[in-house]
Amino acid sequence: MNLKKVTAVTLAAATALSLAACGSSSSGTSTAASSAAADTEAASSEAASSEAASSEAATSEASESSDASASGDITWDSVTLGETGTDLNVEIKLLTHRTDMMADDYAGKNWNAYLEEFNKMYPGITVNIEAITDYANDSLLRLQAGGWGDIMMIPAVDKADLPTYFISYGDSDTLGKEVNYINNFVYQGQAYGIPSTANANGIVYNKKVFEEAGITELPKTPDEFIADLQKIKDNTDAIPLYTNYAAGWTMGAWDAYISGTATGDPDYMNYKMIHTANPFAKNADDENTYPYAVYKILYDAVANGLIEDDYTTTDWEGCKGMINNGEIGCMVLGSWAVTQMQGAGPNADDIGYMPFPITVNGKQYASAGPDYNFGISAEVSDDEKLASMIFVKWFTLDSGFSYNEGGLPIAADDTNSPDLYQPFTDAGVEYVADNPAPDDEADLPNEMNSESELAVNAGGNEKVQSIVEHAFNGDEDFDSIMDEWNQKWSDAQDSLGVEIKY
Amino acid sequence: MANAGSPAKSRKSFREITQTRKFQRTAIIIGFTVIPLFLLFLFTYLPFGEMVGFSFFKMKYVGKRTFVGWNNYKSIFRRDDIFSSLILSLYYMAGAVIQIAVALYLATVLSMKVRFGKLFKAVIFFPYLINGIAMGFIFKFFYTHGFVLDTVLSWAGFNIDSLPYWLRDQRINNWALVYASFWRYVGQNMVLFIGAIMSIDPSLYEAAAIDGANKFQQFKYIILPGIQTIVTLNIILSITGSLSAFEGPYVITSGANGTGTYFVVMDRIAHTDQKVGLASAMAVFLLLIIFACTIAQKLIFKYAFRNAQTDDESYAARKQRRKAEKQAAKELKALKKAQKEAR
Repeated sequence: MNLKKVTAVTLAAATALSLAACGSSSSGTSTAASSAAADTEAASSEAASSEAASSEAATSEASESSDASASGDITWDSVTLGETGTDLNVEIKLLTHRTDMMADDYAGKNWNAYLEEFNKMYPGITVNIEAITDYANDSLLRLQAGGWGDIMMIPAVDKADLPTYFISYGDSDTLGKEVNYINNFVYQGQAYGIPSTANANGIVYNKKVFEEAGITELPKTPDEFIADLQKIKDNTDAIPLYTNYAAGWTMGAWDAYISGTATGDPDYMNYKMIHTANPFAKNADDENTYPYAVYKILYDAVANGLIEDDYTTTDWEGCKGMINNGEIGCMVLGSWAVTQMQGAGPNADDIGYMPFPITVNGKQYASAGPDYNFGISAEVSDDEKLASMIFVKWFTLDSGFSYNEGGLPIAADDTNSPDLYQPFTDAGVEYVADNPAPDDEADLPNEMNSESELAVNAGGNEKVQSIVEHAFNGDEDFDSIMDEWNQKWSDAQDSLGVEIKY
Repeated sequence: MANAGSPAKSRKSFREITQTRKFQRTAIIIGFTVIPLFLLFLFTYLPFGEMVGFSFFKMKYVGKRTFVGWNNYKSIFRRDDIFSSLILSLYYMAGAVIQIAVALYLATVLSMKVRFGKLFKAVIFFPYLINGIAMGFIFKFFYTHGFVLDTVLSWAGFNIDSLPYWLRDQRINNWALVYASFWRYVGQNMVLFIGAIMSIDPSLYEAAAIDGANKFQQFKYIILPGIQTIVTLNIILSITGSLSAFEGPYVITSGANGTGTYFVVMDRIAHTDQKVGLASAMAVFLLLIIFACTIAQKLIFKYAFRNAQTDDESYAARKQRRKAEKQAAKELKALKKAQKEAR
């Protein structure tokens, strides 16, 4: 009896699941199929000689195709804020990772404040917000289960799956002129994500410590930087450069500086580096640029004793208060870290952000990239899609969210960077967003990281930690570390059959 | 009618069969073995078999797989990082030997009448109850320069500036980590030993005491042979544990600075570098090492405990007896010969 019941339930569940799987996997292709059907339908209706049965089928097809074309019309361009959809009366749901913004006592502007503003323009659209703590994992599960809502921060899905789950905002080339940093979720020329905010890579520093050390001008080259660190060591009690070695990922964060920041080339990270022979070698034109220079800064800082005393027991949470109180000169971290350092003590005004000290042909660059992107569900009704599109567009263009959160502007015509980036503006820094790998080599960067075991920008913390170890123990000079990495990179290129072009 | 009758009869006989004691016993035996065996197969041997299969492929978690034969196994021997991580296990093995010796000593002392014995047992066992991750954080602060350990040592008269950096100095950082694992597991070993010592008949001690045996002799001739199986078990567990040391180095130093044990390296290769095939091969290789260690250890014990066993006494006696018998037979022969001659 029980066994039968269990079997029956299991079978039912299995069937339901497999059905659901069919449904979700086929929906990606259904738009194409139904539009094809619409074409033939149109042809046949012109002929006007359809039998009763086929006309019945045709009408159902026609209604389906009109659905498809209608949803196809909801794009970024079709929405004019304040005009489109003002009569809409729908409720939509947004999934977000920003749990902190749910709280009333959030230091910045919280979700409710944004929604209030939005509802002044669109009183009919009610936005419900659900914040998820373990967002990266939970959102993936919710996405696959379906019925999660209307807008979400796109989690780590394969590009090929994007059309299954999300609607396109429009052609990536046209959209790219209006919105920055959309590259991460472009598939077959369509953009499926709009960044909520964007970050740039520089160095978090304590202005007061720099002042006390007698540094009047921010460093622009590795040599100047090392000299400044030495000044901090000589003239103050602060730790010049705090490596956060023990946390691991804080060391892997150095990888973020080797692409746009050190080269000024948006194609370097995902294309040129893959095809470069010995990318970690000294650059022939200027040894103070390219990956070599980035890691050399770290090596030299350690070798000259310009870092914390006991790097193996550093404490990530503790470092925030230390830099706030002027016990640390600077740390190499993304701009997202700035607000945390400011909030960790009473001296928020002392925390500043400066460009990474590498100058390529007389110009400084900074890698910039998007934070989480908004995606709009493909499985909700047209009204909900339209309302979602309106909300995302408003949030991007009118809410000032990115600015409030200390991010770079998302709208292309917005030049209003937060004060944080004043040193970047002063130094004439150009922001560089990495281009994605070409479609036919989309997996190659990951393959190279795996094969070479260097895991650049992919959790390769250990290799950067080893720089600190060797520099401190003095058992290996910098060039031979780089030679080892080059060897690993070349071996990986050989085994994957990568063509050397540079 | 006959046709209709026979199935009824056989159905009845089937029900009869199911009601016999013999059938029920067989059914229960099968039921109780098949289900656990099935679960064991499903969750242990099947995944293991899969993993052995993976070890012959070059693969990631997703994406295509290429068959590479023994290449993954070959690269275990070619790569410096894997082999040096195995050498690190020697630190942990040395630690394990000391750990067992200390646990045995504490267990022996605490199984005798000691004041506050229960308190000591609880205090020594307590670290084992702490979560391994929490323990990692405790020791990170414990070893931080100028923190817990250094402060305590400075009370004892050491100058803080002359103390080493426990985790930074590559000559001592592995010993520091081994101590963390010692601290955690010595209590568990001790409790196992105490349990075994408790099962020894107390009258043996009395008898030995009457015969004038001191405490050390009691330990050597009563306790040690009595808990031999538990000693063996603890040694096997400790050796396996030292080969697969993970939590300590992973949490305290994240395997950096020359503290990456075999498991930490395996974790990095499997997850960061996504070389699932190589990591699987490493796991299979580790299993073989553990097999080898276990067998070697069994053989050594067979040899080492031979003299301590009670039947060795009779072995000597038997030798003597045989000698005596031979002598007796010789004498008998000689006697018979003499009798013959006399006749």
